[in-house]
Amino acid sequence: MPGIFTLPPYDDEPPALLGGFCPVCNAYYFPRPKYCRACLGPLKETRVGSEGSIYSFTIVRKKAPLGLPQPYGVGYVILKETGLFIFSLFDPATLDKLRIGLPVRLAVNTLGVDINGSPCLRPYFTPMPVMSDPGKI
Amino acid sequence: MANALAAIVGLGMIPCGKHLERSVIDMATEAVYLAIKDAGIKPGQVDACFFGNVLAGRLFGANTIGQNVFWEVGINRVPVINVENACTSGSTALYLAYNMIAAGQAEVVLAASSEKMYVKNAGLVDAGLDELDTLLGLAAPATFGMRARRYMEEFGATEKQLALVAVKNRCHAQFNPLAQFREPVTVEEVLASPMVADPLTRLQCCPIADGAAAVVVCSPALAKRLGRAVNIEATVLATGDYANPPNLAGFDTVRRAAHLAYEKAGIGPGDLHVVECHDAFTITEIMDYEALGFCPVGQGGKLVEEGHTKLGGRLPVNVSGGLLSRGHPVGASGLLQAAEIITQLRGEAGERQVRGAKLGLVQNMGGDKDGDIRACTISILSTW
Ligand SMILES: [Zn+2]
Repeated sequence: MPGIFTLPPYDDEPPALLGGFCPVCNAYYFPRPKYCRACLGPLKETRVGSEGSIYSFTIVRKKAPLGLPQPYGVGYVILKETGLFIFSLFDPATLDKLRIGLPVRLAVNTLGVDINGSPCLRPYFTPMPVMSDPGKI
Repeated sequence: MANALAAIVGLGMIPCGKHLERSVIDMATEAVYLAIKDAGIKPGQVDACFFGNVLAGRLFGANTIGQNVFWEVGINRVPVINVENACTSGSTALYLAYNMIAAGQAEVVLAASSEKMYVKNAGLVDAGLDELDTLLGLAAPATFGMRARRYMEEFGATEKQLALVAVKNRCHAQFNPLAQFREPVTVEEVLASPMVADPLTRLQCCPIADGAAAVVVCSPALAKRLGRAVNIEATVLATGDYANPPNLAGFDTVRRAAHLAYEKAGIGPGDLHVVECHDAFTITEIMDYEALGFCPVGQGGKLVEEGHTKLGGRLPVNVSGGLLSRGHPVGASGLLQAAEIITQLRGEAGERQVRGAKLGLVQNMGGDKDGDIRACTISILSTW
């Protein structure tokens, strides 16, 4: 999954998904295609989002692929920054909290293996810390 | 109708099931043989062949196998084209056969498909390991779990309504000797079966299968001489628009295909007598109802709950038992669905015959991309 998320360390900015932006069409893409689909112009690599809310989700309980934990959660997240709807994994430790509309933020950690069987970093969304504890962010 | 541009005059298939001793080529060969015999044609009359398959390359390293299949029944020299279009591979073969005849480039074309899935270590069907979504854990049941969750949120559909699709289709399968699973199930059994991808339980997900089917498509003039013809009023193929935002609570691509198919055939959904639609998951059939225009958006759950789509109802859907009972031999499913409509329109469906069925629709979809489907085919067939 090269180039689809910012790499650690995350000292200054939280992890973000990396996509493409067409300044002519004012259009965002994730993942970044080779050309802008509307004008076929070049795309600029850009951060498309670190936060969002859940549009839909499911918990897969069978045959987890690629060393993912079983069960594991996936879904679509509406990114706050760009409005893109993107497919993503969810934090395996918070599956019981998932619901449509839940505010989430991006994390990047070792999760599962790549197609060669080596442990790899994956981006996933995790519930935002609850509002009653703002100091925690 | 007198103005159909092509007709189906031969049908062959083998029962869906676990055929551990049979190869994908062996199954296909039998289906093609049966279709040729059913049509009463000779191999030398065939002008071109299309062969649908998805997994043989990946599972067995066997590519370009249509040529093997057709040569087993004595067909060589003429064009043979291998078709891979995910779960619509078989119906895409039919689409291509129809178009070749409609264009006047051939008089007799074979469309065949076969899939072997019962092998060790086959995982859930996905879009391929080079796809980002696959690397992030997307497999077919997950996509439809997300669709079901979103659909229920937007329209208040119930788990019971979802389960009733499986109950209905299994009830139909009792009367189909070619279905893989023929025992009736109850709503309670469907909901109590193991969870696969929330909220979809195992009995709401189509099982895998080995299977094969073939049809002989020909010009209207030849069809008149051969008899038992089923007219192809329209066959269309739509590709996803991959819009962002996607709509997980409705099949916009199916709706687009349906509009085109109805327009080409000059009919509307209210004219249909029998339907086979893609029911890989229970939610799929409910969303198909809406996209195909059988009920308003959001009312699909109610349509099945009120019994309108069961045998004896206003518009029987998946009288064969559907993918949920037959199993889903992915590349072969499109033609197996068409086979049921052909059988119904010929009046040869036995105990599951829809009385007086003269106009039927078959809808097949495949693949997943960006919250949309990759392909949807719809054919409208008639014997009037
Ligand atoms: Zn552009």
